[in-house]
Amino acid sequence: MIQKKITIKNKLGLHARPSALLVKAATKYRSDFNIRRDDTVVNGKSIMGVMILAAECGAELELIADGVDEAFLIDEISQLIEEGFDE
Amino acid sequence: MKEISVYDFFESKKKDMALSLITEPETLNKKINSPHVNRPGLALAGYLEVFASERIQVFGETEIRFLQSLSEEDLLSRMRDVFKTDIPCVIVSKGLTLPPVVEYLANDLNIALLSSRLATINLMEQLTRYLHDIFALEKTIHATLLDVFGSGILLTGKSGIGKSECALDLVNRGHSLVGDDLITLRYVDDVLIGRSGKNFGHFMEIRGVGFVNVERMFGIERVRPQKTIDLQIELMPWQENMDHERIGLTNSYAEHLGCRIPIIYLPVSPGKNVSVIVEVAAMNLILKNVGYDAAEDFNRKLNEEIRQKTIRKSVRPLANDPKKDNN
Repeated sequence: MIQKKITIKNKLGLHARPSALLVKAATKYRSDFNIRRDDTVVNGKSIMGVMILAAECGAELELIADGVDEAFLIDEISQLIEEGFDE
Repeated sequence: MKEISVYDFFESKKKDMALSLITEPETLNKKINSPHVNRPGLALAGYLEVFASERIQVFGETEIRFLQSLSEEDLLSRMRDVFKTDIPCVIVSKGLTLPPVVEYLANDLNIALLSSRLATINLMEQLTRYLHDIFALEKTIHATLLDVFGSGILLTGKSGIGKSECALDLVNRGHSLVGDDLITLRYVDDVLIGRSGKNFGHFMEIRGVGFVNVERMFGIERVRPQKTIDLQIELMPWQENMDHERIGLTNSYAEHLGCRIPIIYLPVSPGKNVSVIVEVAAMNLILKNVGYDAAEDFNRKLNEEIRQKTIRKSVRPLANDPKKDNN
Protein backbone atom coordinates (compact mmCIF):
# COMPACT_ATOMS: atom_id res chain seq x y z
CA MET A 1 0.00 0.00 0.00
CA ILE A 2 1.25 3.47 -0.86
CA GLN A 3 0.06 6.69 0.75
CA LYS A 4 0.99 10.09 -0.56
CA LYS A 5 0.02 13.60 0.55
CA ILE A 6 -0.61 16.09 -2.20
CA THR A 7 -1.96 19.64 -2.59
CA ILE A 8 -4.41 20.73 -5.29
CA LYS A 9 -2.70 23.25 -7.59
CA ASN A 10 -5.21 24.40 -10.18
CA LYS A 11 -7.16 27.54 -9.38
CA LEU A 12 -10.67 26.13 -9.79
CA GLY A 13 -10.02 23.03 -7.73
CA LEU A 14 -11.38 19.54 -8.44
CA HIS A 15 -14.47 20.58 -10.38
CA ALA A 16 -16.17 18.38 -12.98
CA ARG A 17 -13.51 18.26 -15.68
CA PRO A 18 -10.47 17.50 -13.48
CA SER A 19 -12.49 14.97 -11.50
CA ALA A 20 -13.41 13.18 -14.70
CA LEU A 21 -9.75 13.19 -15.83
CA LEU A 22 -8.60 11.86 -12.46
CA VAL A 23 -11.16 9.06 -12.39
CA LYS A 24 -10.46 8.15 -16.00
CA ALA A 25 -6.74 7.85 -15.24
CA ALA A 26 -7.35 5.85 -12.05
CA THR A 27 -9.71 3.28 -13.60
CA LYS A 28 -6.93 2.16 -15.96
CA TYR A 29 -5.20 0.51 -13.01
CA ARG A 30 -6.14 -2.64 -11.14
CA SER A 31 -5.17 -1.38 -7.69
CA ASP A 32 -7.74 -0.13 -5.22
CA PHE A 33 -7.59 3.61 -5.01
CA ASN A 34 -8.96 5.87 -2.30
CA ILE A 35 -8.60 9.58 -1.64
CA ARG A 36 -8.74 10.97 1.88
CA ARG A 37 -9.50 14.53 2.87
CA ASP A 38 -9.57 15.11 6.61
CA ASP A 39 -12.06 12.49 7.85
CA THR A 40 -13.62 11.74 4.50
CA VAL A 41 -12.37 8.82 2.45
CA VAL A 42 -13.80 8.31 -1.03
CA ASN A 43 -13.21 5.79 -3.80
CA GLY A 44 -10.89 7.44 -6.34
CA LYS A 45 -12.47 5.50 -9.17
CA SER A 46 -15.94 6.90 -8.47
CA ILE A 47 -16.67 10.23 -10.09
CA MET A 48 -19.37 11.08 -7.58
CA GLY A 49 -16.97 10.35 -4.71
CA VAL A 50 -14.19 12.51 -6.11
CA MET A 51 -16.51 15.40 -6.85
CA ILE A 52 -18.07 15.26 -3.38
CA LEU A 53 -14.67 16.12 -1.87
CA ALA A 54 -15.10 19.56 -3.44
CA ALA A 55 -11.33 20.00 -3.15
CA GLU A 56 -10.46 23.65 -3.73
CA CYS A 57 -7.09 25.06 -4.74
CA GLY A 58 -4.70 24.46 -1.84
CA ALA A 59 -6.72 21.56 -0.39
CA GLU A 60 -4.55 18.80 1.03
CA LEU A 61 -5.46 15.27 -0.04
CA GLU A 62 -3.99 11.90 0.67
CA LEU A 63 -3.84 9.40 -2.18
CA ILE A 64 -4.04 5.79 -1.01
CA ALA A 65 -3.38 3.00 -3.52
CA ASP A 66 -3.23 -0.70 -2.84
CA GLY A 67 -2.50 -3.36 -5.44
CA VAL A 68 -0.08 -4.71 -8.01
CA ASP A 69 0.31 -1.46 -9.95
CA GLU A 70 -0.08 0.96 -7.01
CA ALA A 71 3.17 2.83 -7.70
CA PHE A 72 2.22 3.58 -11.32
CA LEU A 73 -1.23 4.72 -10.28
CA ILE A 74 0.13 7.12 -7.65
CA ASP A 75 2.70 8.46 -10.17
CA GLU A 76 0.13 9.23 -12.83
CA ILE A 77 -2.42 10.78 -10.45
CA SER A 78 0.27 12.87 -8.72
CA GLN A 79 1.50 14.14 -12.04
CA LEU A 80 -2.04 15.14 -13.08
CA ILE A 81 -2.55 17.07 -9.84
CA GLU A 82 0.92 18.64 -9.88
CA GLU A 83 0.39 19.86 -13.43
CA GLY A 84 -2.92 21.38 -12.38
CA PHE A 85 -4.86 19.23 -14.94
CA ASP A 86 -3.48 21.49 -17.69
CA GLU A 87 -5.70 24.34 -16.59
CA MET B 1 -34.15 11.75 -57.69
CA LYS B 2 -37.48 10.35 -56.62
CA GLU B 3 -40.53 10.76 -58.83
CA ILE B 4 -44.20 9.94 -58.80
CA SER B 5 -46.60 9.74 -61.72
CA VAL B 6 -49.46 12.21 -62.03
CA TYR B 7 -51.74 9.18 -62.18
CA ASP B 8 -50.59 7.90 -58.76
CA PHE B 9 -50.90 11.36 -57.28
CA PHE B 10 -54.43 11.76 -58.67
CA GLU B 11 -55.56 8.31 -57.54
CA SER B 12 -54.23 8.68 -53.98
CA LYS B 13 -55.37 12.26 -53.41
CA LYS B 14 -58.55 12.72 -55.44
CA LYS B 15 -60.68 12.37 -52.33
CA ASP B 16 -58.60 14.51 -49.92
CA MET B 17 -58.09 17.32 -52.40
CA ALA B 18 -61.53 17.01 -54.05
CA LEU B 19 -59.91 16.48 -57.45
CA SER B 20 -61.51 15.66 -60.77
CA LEU B 21 -59.91 15.13 -64.15
CA ILE B 22 -60.86 17.54 -66.92
CA THR B 23 -58.73 16.15 -69.72
CA GLU B 24 -58.54 12.59 -71.12
CA PRO B 25 -57.12 9.87 -68.79
CA GLU B 26 -54.14 9.41 -71.16
CA THR B 27 -52.78 12.79 -70.07
CA LEU B 28 -52.02 11.40 -66.60
CA ASN B 29 -48.84 9.60 -67.61
CA LYS B 30 -46.37 12.41 -66.85
CA LYS B 31 -44.04 12.29 -63.84
CA ILE B 32 -43.79 14.73 -60.95
CA ASN B 33 -40.22 15.12 -59.72
CA SER B 34 -40.29 18.33 -57.70
CA PRO B 35 -41.49 18.69 -54.09
CA HIS B 36 -42.67 22.25 -54.79
CA VAL B 37 -45.78 23.90 -56.20
CA ASN B 38 -45.86 26.87 -58.57
CA ARG B 39 -48.34 29.65 -59.38
CA PRO B 40 -47.54 30.44 -63.01
CA GLY B 41 -48.72 34.09 -63.04
CA LEU B 42 -45.82 35.64 -64.98
CA ALA B 43 -45.44 32.65 -67.28
CA LEU B 44 -49.02 33.21 -68.47
CA ALA B 45 -48.14 36.84 -69.14
CA GLY B 46 -45.47 35.60 -71.52
CA TYR B 47 -42.36 35.68 -69.32
CA LEU B 48 -40.89 32.18 -69.57
CA GLU B 49 -37.18 32.81 -68.98
CA VAL B 50 -37.54 32.02 -65.30
CA PHE B 51 -40.31 29.47 -64.95
CA ALA B 52 -40.31 26.52 -62.55
CA SER B 53 -41.87 24.29 -65.16
CA GLU B 54 -40.98 21.03 -63.42
CA ARG B 55 -43.46 21.81 -60.64
CA ILE B 56 -47.18 21.19 -60.39
CA GLN B 57 -48.86 24.38 -61.61
CA VAL B 58 -51.75 25.75 -59.63
CA PHE B 59 -54.21 28.07 -61.36
CA GLY B 60 -56.11 30.16 -58.85
CA GLU B 61 -58.60 32.93 -59.39
CA THR B 62 -55.81 35.35 -60.49
CA GLU B 63 -54.67 33.09 -63.31
CA ILE B 64 -58.20 32.25 -64.47
CA ARG B 65 -59.34 35.89 -64.48
CA PHE B 66 -56.22 36.89 -66.37
CA LEU B 67 -56.74 34.18 -69.00
CA GLN B 68 -60.37 35.22 -69.39
CA SER B 69 -59.23 38.77 -70.09
CA LEU B 70 -57.07 37.71 -73.04
CA SER B 71 -58.18 37.63 -76.65
CA GLU B 72 -58.62 34.10 -78.06
CA GLU B 73 -55.48 34.51 -80.15
CA ASP B 74 -53.30 35.62 -77.20
CA LEU B 75 -54.83 32.98 -74.96
CA LEU B 76 -53.94 30.19 -77.41
CA SER B 77 -50.37 31.33 -77.98
CA ARG B 78 -49.63 31.90 -74.28
CA MET B 79 -51.12 28.60 -73.21
CA ARG B 80 -49.33 26.77 -76.00
CA ASP B 81 -45.99 28.25 -74.82
CA VAL B 82 -46.67 27.18 -71.25
CA PHE B 83 -47.94 23.70 -72.19
CA LYS B 84 -44.91 23.09 -74.40
CA THR B 85 -42.58 23.26 -71.38
CA ASP B 86 -42.26 20.10 -69.29
CA ILE B 87 -44.94 20.91 -66.70
CA PRO B 88 -46.31 17.70 -65.11
CA CYS B 89 -49.90 18.88 -64.68
CA VAL B 90 -52.16 21.84 -63.96
CA ILE B 91 -54.59 22.04 -61.05
CA VAL B 92 -57.35 24.60 -61.11
CA SER B 93 -58.57 25.53 -57.64
CA LYS B 94 -62.01 26.52 -56.26
CA GLY B 95 -63.67 24.45 -59.01
CA LEU B 96 -63.14 27.35 -61.44
CA THR B 97 -63.53 26.69 -65.15
CA LEU B 98 -60.92 27.27 -67.81
CA PRO B 99 -61.87 28.63 -71.24
CA PRO B 100 -62.82 25.54 -73.37
CA VAL B 101 -59.98 26.13 -75.84
CA VAL B 102 -57.45 25.53 -73.06
CA GLU B 103 -58.99 22.10 -72.45
CA TYR B 104 -58.66 21.16 -76.16
CA LEU B 105 -55.12 22.43 -76.21
CA ALA B 106 -54.20 20.44 -73.08
CA ASN B 107 -55.59 17.22 -74.58
CA ASP B 108 -53.72 17.98 -77.76
CA LEU B 109 -50.37 18.57 -75.99
CA ASN B 110 -50.89 15.79 -73.45
CA ILE B 111 -51.07 17.97 -70.32
CA ALA B 112 -53.32 16.79 -67.48
CA LEU B 113 -55.80 19.40 -66.28
CA LEU B 114 -57.22 18.72 -62.84
CA SER B 115 -59.86 20.64 -61.00
CA SER B 116 -60.05 20.92 -57.24
CA ARG B 117 -62.94 22.23 -55.20
CA LEU B 118 -60.56 23.41 -52.47
CA ALA B 119 -59.69 27.09 -52.02
CA THR B 120 -56.31 27.97 -53.55
CA ILE B 121 -54.55 28.44 -50.21
CA ASN B 122 -55.83 25.12 -48.82
CA LEU B 123 -54.92 23.33 -52.00
CA MET B 124 -51.38 24.77 -51.97
CA GLU B 125 -50.98 23.76 -48.32
CA GLN B 126 -52.20 20.21 -48.88
CA LEU B 127 -50.09 19.84 -52.01
CA THR B 128 -46.96 21.06 -50.24
CA ARG B 129 -47.50 18.71 -47.32
CA TYR B 130 -48.19 15.77 -49.63
CA LEU B 131 -45.20 16.46 -51.87
CA HIS B 132 -42.81 17.00 -48.94
CA ASP B 133 -43.90 13.68 -47.54
CA ILE B 134 -43.43 11.92 -50.88
CA PHE B 135 -40.06 13.53 -51.57
CA ALA B 136 -38.70 13.38 -47.99
CA LEU B 137 -35.15 12.07 -47.59
CA GLU B 138 -35.24 8.47 -46.49
CA LYS B 139 -32.88 5.74 -45.37
CA THR B 140 -33.24 2.36 -43.75
CA ILE B 141 -30.94 1.33 -40.91
CA HIS B 142 -30.36 -1.65 -38.64
CA ALA B 143 -31.95 -0.49 -35.37
CA THR B 144 -34.90 -0.81 -33.02
CA LEU B 145 -37.30 2.05 -32.33
CA LEU B 146 -39.43 2.48 -29.23
CA ASP B 147 -41.63 5.04 -27.57
CA VAL B 148 -40.41 5.34 -23.97
CA PHE B 149 -42.41 7.80 -21.82
CA GLY B 150 -43.34 9.60 -25.04
CA SER B 151 -39.76 9.96 -26.27
CA GLY B 152 -38.65 8.24 -29.45
CA ILE B 153 -35.64 6.10 -28.56
CA LEU B 154 -33.58 4.59 -31.36
CA LEU B 155 -31.53 1.60 -30.19
CA THR B 156 -28.51 0.79 -32.32
CA GLY B 157 -25.54 -1.52 -31.98
CA LYS B 158 -24.05 -4.65 -33.44
CA SER B 159 -26.16 -7.68 -34.20
CA GLY B 160 -26.56 -9.85 -31.10
CA ILE B 161 -25.82 -7.07 -28.59
CA GLY B 162 -29.37 -7.30 -27.24
CA LYS B 163 -31.43 -4.61 -28.91
CA SER B 164 -34.45 -6.87 -29.36
CA GLU B 165 -34.23 -8.28 -25.83
CA CYS B 166 -34.02 -4.75 -24.43
CA ALA B 167 -36.99 -3.70 -26.58
CA LEU B 168 -39.01 -6.69 -25.38
CA ASP B 169 -38.28 -5.81 -21.76
CA LEU B 170 -39.36 -2.21 -22.38
CA VAL B 171 -42.58 -3.33 -24.06
CA ASN B 172 -43.19 -5.64 -21.12
CA ARG B 173 -42.79 -2.62 -18.82
CA GLY B 174 -45.55 -0.79 -20.70
CA HIS B 175 -43.68 1.14 -23.39
CA SER B 176 -44.47 0.71 -27.06
CA LEU B 177 -42.63 -0.67 -30.04
CA VAL B 178 -42.38 1.05 -33.41
CA GLY B 179 -40.15 -1.44 -35.16
CA ASP B 180 -37.40 -3.96 -34.61
CA ASP B 181 -34.34 -4.74 -36.71
CA LEU B 182 -35.11 -2.52 -39.71
CA ILE B 183 -36.12 1.11 -39.28
CA THR B 184 -36.84 3.51 -42.09
CA LEU B 185 -35.87 7.07 -41.19
CA ARG B 186 -37.45 10.07 -42.88
CA TYR B 187 -36.45 13.67 -42.52
CA VAL B 188 -39.65 15.73 -42.70
CA ASP B 189 -40.30 19.28 -41.42
CA ASP B 190 -37.03 19.45 -39.46
CA VAL B 191 -37.69 16.27 -37.50
CA LEU B 192 -36.49 12.73 -37.95
CA ILE B 193 -39.32 10.24 -38.08
CA GLY B 194 -38.84 6.50 -37.90
CA ARG B 195 -41.15 3.67 -38.82
CA SER B 196 -40.72 -0.05 -39.27
CA GLY B 197 -38.85 -0.95 -42.43
CA LYS B 198 -40.95 -4.11 -42.74
CA ASN B 199 -44.60 -4.05 -43.65
CA PHE B 200 -45.65 -7.34 -42.09
CA GLY B 201 -46.63 -5.95 -38.69
CA HIS B 202 -44.81 -5.80 -35.39
CA PHE B 203 -42.78 -9.00 -35.41
CA MET B 204 -39.59 -9.49 -33.45
CA GLU B 205 -36.98 -12.16 -33.51
CA ILE B 206 -35.95 -13.24 -30.03
CA ARG B 207 -32.96 -15.55 -30.01
CA GLY B 208 -33.86 -18.89 -28.51
CA VAL B 209 -37.61 -18.33 -28.90
CA GLY B 210 -38.00 -17.39 -32.54
CA PHE B 211 -40.51 -14.97 -33.98
CA VAL B 212 -42.85 -13.10 -31.69
CA ASN B 213 -45.82 -10.96 -32.70
CA VAL B 214 -45.69 -8.05 -30.26
CA GLU B 215 -49.11 -6.69 -31.20
CA ARG B 216 -50.83 -10.04 -30.60
CA MET B 217 -48.89 -10.80 -27.46
CA PHE B 218 -48.99 -7.44 -25.68
CA GLY B 219 -51.91 -5.71 -27.34
CA ILE B 220 -52.49 -2.90 -29.80
CA GLU B 221 -51.58 -0.21 -27.25
CA ARG B 222 -47.99 -1.45 -27.11
CA VAL B 223 -47.25 -0.79 -30.77
CA ARG B 224 -47.01 2.40 -32.80
CA PRO B 225 -46.85 2.95 -36.56
CA GLN B 226 -44.22 5.72 -36.38
CA LYS B 227 -42.44 8.02 -33.95
CA THR B 228 -40.29 11.16 -33.99
CA ILE B 229 -36.78 10.25 -32.86
CA ASP B 230 -35.50 12.16 -29.82
CA LEU B 231 -32.51 10.11 -28.70
CA GLN B 232 -30.23 7.42 -30.05
CA ILE B 233 -28.75 4.85 -27.68
CA GLU B 234 -25.85 2.87 -29.07
CA LEU B 235 -25.35 -0.38 -27.19
CA MET B 236 -21.73 -1.47 -27.16
CA PRO B 237 -19.87 -4.39 -25.60
CA TRP B 238 -18.41 -3.61 -22.19
CA GLN B 239 -14.64 -3.21 -22.31
CA GLU B 240 -12.11 -2.42 -19.61
CA ASN B 241 -10.73 1.12 -19.81
CA MET B 242 -13.41 2.29 -22.19
CA ASP B 243 -13.95 6.01 -22.19
CA HIS B 244 -17.55 6.27 -20.94
CA GLU B 245 -19.43 9.43 -20.24
CA ARG B 246 -19.36 9.71 -16.46
CA ILE B 247 -21.01 13.02 -15.68
CA GLY B 248 -23.08 14.00 -18.70
CA LEU B 249 -21.70 17.51 -19.17
CA THR B 250 -20.67 16.85 -22.74
CA ASN B 251 -23.28 15.99 -25.37
CA SER B 252 -22.62 13.81 -28.39
CA TYR B 253 -24.71 13.78 -31.53
CA ALA B 254 -25.32 11.33 -34.32
CA GLU B 255 -26.30 12.54 -37.77
CA HIS B 256 -29.01 10.96 -39.90
CA LEU B 257 -30.09 12.51 -43.20
CA GLY B 258 -28.52 15.79 -42.08
CA CYS B 259 -30.48 15.85 -38.80
CA ARG B 260 -28.59 15.89 -35.49
CA ILE B 261 -29.85 13.53 -32.79
CA PRO B 262 -28.38 13.31 -29.26
CA ILE B 263 -26.60 10.00 -28.80
CA ILE B 264 -25.62 8.01 -25.71
CA TYR B 265 -23.04 5.22 -25.87
CA LEU B 266 -24.14 2.55 -23.44
CA PRO B 267 -21.73 -0.18 -22.38
CA VAL B 268 -23.52 -3.50 -22.05
CA SER B 269 -22.38 -6.54 -20.11
CA PRO B 270 -24.21 -9.84 -19.58
CA GLY B 271 -26.92 -9.63 -16.97
CA LYS B 272 -26.96 -5.85 -16.93
CA ASN B 273 -30.48 -4.41 -16.97
CA VAL B 274 -30.26 -2.19 -20.02
CA SER B 275 -33.97 -1.36 -20.22
CA VAL B 276 -33.92 0.47 -16.88
CA ILE B 277 -31.03 2.57 -18.16
CA VAL B 278 -32.95 3.31 -21.35
CA GLU B 279 -35.92 4.46 -19.23
CA VAL B 280 -33.62 6.64 -17.15
CA ALA B 281 -32.04 8.13 -20.27
CA ALA B 282 -35.50 8.90 -21.65
CA MET B 283 -36.59 10.58 -18.41
CA ASN B 284 -33.33 12.53 -18.20
CA LEU B 285 -33.94 13.75 -21.75
CA ILE B 286 -37.43 14.92 -20.77
CA LEU B 287 -35.95 16.77 -17.76
CA LYS B 288 -33.36 18.40 -20.03
CA ASN B 289 -36.07 19.44 -22.46
CA VAL B 290 -38.02 21.17 -19.68
CA GLY B 291 -34.83 22.94 -18.59
CA TYR B 292 -33.29 20.78 -15.83
CA ASP B 293 -29.86 19.28 -16.45
CA ALA B 294 -28.70 17.14 -13.50
CA ALA B 295 -25.04 17.22 -14.56
CA GLU B 296 -25.06 21.02 -14.79
CA ASP B 297 -26.93 21.35 -11.50
CA PHE B 298 -24.44 19.15 -9.67
CA ASN B 299 -21.50 20.94 -11.25
CA ARG B 300 -22.94 24.32 -10.27
CA LYS B 301 -23.31 23.20 -6.65
CA LEU B 302 -19.81 21.76 -6.64
CA ASN B 303 -18.28 24.93 -8.09
CA GLU B 304 -20.11 27.02 -5.52
CA GLU B 305 -18.77 24.89 -2.67
CA ILE B 306 -15.22 25.05 -4.04
CA ARG B 307 -15.58 28.83 -4.34
CA GLN B 308 -16.84 29.18 -0.77
CA LYS B 309 -13.96 27.10 0.55
CA THR B 310 -11.46 29.16 -1.40
CA ILE B 311 -12.89 32.40 0.01
CA ARG B 312 -12.86 31.04 3.57
CA LYS B 313 -9.27 29.98 3.15
CA SER B 314 -8.21 33.41 1.92
CA VAL B 315 -9.80 35.24 4.91
CA ARG B 316 -8.57 32.76 7.55
CA PRO B 317 -5.06 34.23 7.98
CA LEU B 318 -6.63 37.58 8.98
CA ALA B 319 -8.59 36.09 11.90
CA ASN B 320 -6.92 35.93 15.33
CA ASP B 321 -8.29 32.53 16.21
CA PRO B 322 -8.75 30.11 13.30
CA LYS B 323 -11.30 28.09 15.31
CA LYS B 324 -13.70 31.02 15.24
CA ASP B 325 -14.27 30.38 11.56
CA ASN B 326 -16.32 27.35 12.41
CA ASN B 327 -18.90 29.34 14.33
